[in-house]
Amino acid sequence: MKKKIMNRILGAAMTGIMVFSLTACGNGGGGENAGSSNTGAGEGSAQEETASGDEKVVLDVINYHVGTDYAAEYYSYLFEAFQETEEGRNVEFRFEEIPTTDAFNQKIKLLISSGDLPDIVFNGGNNITELAAKSGKVADLTPYFEADPEWKALFDETSLEFNTVDGKIYGVPVSKEISYIYYNKELFKQAGIEAPETAYASWDEFFEACDKLKEAGITPVGMDTADSGWLTNLWMSALIGTAGDAGNTWMNSMYPTDFNTPEVEAAAETIQRMFMEYTTADAVGGKYDPMATHFFNGEVAMFPNGPWMIPDFSETEKAPEGFYDKVGIMLMPENGMEMVPTPGDMVGASEPEKIEAAVAFLKFETKPENQIKALEMTGLQPVSNDLEIPSELTESDPLMARVLEIQNEAAVTYGQNQAYWYQNTIDTFSTELPELAYGNITPQEFCKKLSESAAKNQE
Amino acid sequence: MKIKNKGLWIALFTLPCMLLFALVYAAPIVTVAYTSLCNYTTFSAPEFAGIKNFVTIFSDKDFLVSVKNTLVWVLLQSVFHVTLGLIMALVLRRKPKGWQVVRTAYMIPNIIPTAATGVMFTLLLNPSFGVVKPLWEKLGFETSQVPNLFGNSRYAFWTVTFTWILYSGFNTIIFLAEMGAIDKEVYEAARVDGAKPWQIDRYITLPLMKNIFGTCVTLASVAMVSQFDIIYMTTKGGPGNSTLNLPIYLYKAATLENNYGKANAVGVVQIVIGISLVLLIQRLFMAKAGEEDGK
Amino acid sequence: MKKTPQAMIFLAKIAKYLFLIFFTLIAVAPIVWAAISSFKTYAEINSSALSWPSAFQLDNYRAAFRYAPIAKYFLNSVIIVGCSVLVTVALVAMCAYIISRFRFKLKTVIVLLISASLMLPAQAISQPLFAIFQKLHIFDTKPGLIIVYSAMGIPMSFFVMVSYYKTISPALEESAYIDGASFLQAFFSIILPLAKPGLVTIALLQFINTWNEFYFALMLTSGDSARTVPIALNYYMGTFANNYSALFAAVVMTVLPTIILFIILQRQVVESLTAGAVKG
Repeated sequence: MKKKIMNRILGAAMTGIMVFSLTACGNGGGGENAGSSNTGAGEGSAQEETASGDEKVVLDVINYHVGTDYAAEYYSYLFEAFQETEEGRNVEFRFEEIPTTDAFNQKIKLLISSGDLPDIVFNGGNNITELAAKSGKVADLTPYFEADPEWKALFDETSLEFNTVDGKIYGVPVSKEISYIYYNKELFKQAGIEAPETAYASWDEFFEACDKLKEAGITPVGMDTADSGWLTNLWMSALIGTAGDAGNTWMNSMYPTDFNTPEVEAAAETIQRMFMEYTTADAVGGKYDPMATHFFNGEVAMFPNGPWMIPDFSETEKAPEGFYDKVGIMLMPENGMEMVPTPGDMVGASEPEKIEAAVAFLKFETKPENQIKALEMTGLQPVSNDLEIPSELTESDPLMARVLEIQNEAAVTYGQNQAYWYQNTIDTFSTELPELAYGNITPQEFCKKLSESAAKNQE
Repeated sequence: MKIKNKGLWIALFTLPCMLLFALVYAAPIVTVAYTSLCNYTTFSAPEFAGIKNFVTIFSDKDFLVSVKNTLVWVLLQSVFHVTLGLIMALVLRRKPKGWQVVRTAYMIPNIIPTAATGVMFTLLLNPSFGVVKPLWEKLGFETSQVPNLFGNSRYAFWTVTFTWILYSGFNTIIFLAEMGAIDKEVYEAARVDGAKPWQIDRYITLPLMKNIFGTCVTLASVAMVSQFDIIYMTTKGGPGNSTLNLPIYLYKAATLENNYGKANAVGVVQIVIGISLVLLIQRLFMAKAGEEDGK
Repeated sequence: MKKTPQAMIFLAKIAKYLFLIFFTLIAVAPIVWAAISSFKTYAEINSSALSWPSAFQLDNYRAAFRYAPIAKYFLNSVIIVGCSVLVTVALVAMCAYIISRFRFKLKTVIVLLISASLMLPAQAISQPLFAIFQKLHIFDTKPGLIIVYSAMGIPMSFFVMVSYYKTISPALEESAYIDGASFLQAFFSIILPLAKPGLVTIALLQFINTWNEFYFALMLTSGDSARTVPIALNYYMGTFANNYSALFAAVVMTVLPTIILFIILQRQVVESLTAGAVKG
């Protein structure tokens, strides 16, 4: 009898152990020092909070500019510098690091639907602005812009409009994205052709040059399809954006749903031809990185991309010694240039003093000298138009100087699909491109698939 | 079998497991089932909408393709993958020279993080600098015709399949454990009677593997029904819809269309398919023996 | 007359070894290749998959240490995975035993629930779990992840164990009961020792399955106190810098200890295999 009772107790204990250890550890972890009104469950920072009895404002930040991210250094500078300013003196940051934009976006979406957004919400793209705004969990920043006209004047109309949902500004754009063509001067010389000063006057001239390169045994252009088909997207955006007013308007509109327009279908047809005739064997199914290496190794003559790529040219890890000097810059044919405002950083805080502090940080982030600092450290283009760029910067980096110069010569500007299309349509673009490239579907069918995909968002 | 307080022991032994299980899975199962009947997005709360989501997915051609691909993979994996694991276990059971090395080595692909496996295969099979081009040229084919294994929808399905179908280390381990439980004396007696090694395998070992074979097939099928990582890392379901399966379709509905209601409807279909498979396989393989219970 | 069978045996032997060598090669090749690639530079990795690195430089390994607290993550992984293995094995050992031996009302329900959970997509689970974990204050803690991983391990271990228990003859317990043993005595002193190979196997499988889990490790943590090795891997894949060589360095660093641990655990399996056979 005794034994049986013992056994029962034992059994009950076994069930209990889990529950016990669960609650015990829970208390030891997040809950204990929850004296402050904070809902975040960060562990390490609990002590900091109690230590500073005075009016410290603690801001939760999820930062994806960490590890090998191109802007990791710049952001760690930015956070430190902010805490040395008048507005930032009382601010304490509580960081959560999430490496890679992909992982960051997944987590932010989870937090949007659960309502636990950090106080400063960095923007990793992915239509996050619209989702966050519609969920009602980020602050309307319009009053802050109205109260500080000097700050508002730093941004042009399009940049703010891009971050506006239902008439309210939710995001503070911190930079501008532009892209154009990098070309390899040496390969052009080998093929016996002269690169234009600014851009090819027409696409026909561009493809003539491609034919000449091909005759000389040189692969003319870099393209890809994997992830989001970034390079191909830049070519296609250029083809549409330079195709008259109709094409340009189309390529500058948010969330297009009709892809079966003459301009888009014509562009798809040209893209198909480019895959079949003018690019590398691994472009189909390929990711950005191997394609970039083709360009670095002098295996591809022209490569579309933006200013953030410039530091790579002189990094011997990636490109051969002296590659920087071989690179030239031109706009897309017909003086076209892709230019989009970046989706801006948002404020997820709900208490007034935290919103205040978060806005102060965003103002600091967009100060002219920090925009220039960002340009210097990361190649991100300033969001403000008429900043004075210090001459040291342009002298030490002639390619960057050329970028700053050439963008003023653009006759037409247009967007690109990652900024303007629906998320799932970008994905359809990426998965259907190989089918287009191998001729398994026609350009019309390709465009129809994109239309169908975009329509799924309309339900 | 006479056991005092049988009911109590049943409860005490199953409850801890079920409690932990409920803590993690109860809410999700209910949520998935309910929200599959709702309009539900990243930024809006669930709102009942009947079977709308099911109508949507069943009229989507891509969804039907994803169901087909999933089932083909289940079949391939159940037949080839598990059998391969069994053959490997049969060979290793006799402890040939170097068997320990083989057993450990064969397990390695199952230990490597999937993210790394995905990157490895994409780089290895890259048509311009991977292993395919040199092999292709050595075989005397034209260089310009090098097959793009992940990029061309003609090969993508099989390429993806081959990233996992040969790596059956899991099953080998499970079979080996089961074979270890077979009474040594049975083998001894058979040998004394002059049975050949293949006869021993055929008439003694294999029949005893029926149960565990069923288990392995169950696990392999279920793993295929929820296979995600490698496909995501290599083709993301493309080109076209050639490698699209249910989890990838679901992932896209949730993260790219932000449509949780639709995603969860796919989840329900996935669960229904999975359970049907489990029941079917149990009917096919699982002996009812060993279950007899003295009342 | 004797020659033919001997030639046959010889051929069979060759076939057997070819089979073993082939599968060993295809299993080891990827990791060996990753190890070699980990010494390459970005340019080398993206321009030829088969070349040797120009120099065996350790930069990638240094980078792997610099960007992420990999040692701490490693310790977290050991604790979290270790605990989840113990919990899963203990709970499944009991539950699967009941399912394999007895018939009772809720049995089918239990089996169906467990099967269903195998198919639940992580995306669907993460949101409700996130809410529950915050309420219970186990968000971003080791116990939180231990609970999830233990539960995740149940289904697979469960199926393997149920099948394993069925290989053990019920006659053994019956005779024990006739000798007056209690239920617990029969379970602990007769069944469990016999089931040891099965238990070690599920421990091994659970270990391997949870060691590389990424999604929940990311969603259910917010700081370094409970993050595990797979998250460290992500630190090397920055936005515009998919640093594969550093990734491979990290992979090698994380996989090597796993393989060593696996070899040690396997020795255990071998021992228990022979032990089990003697008693059986």
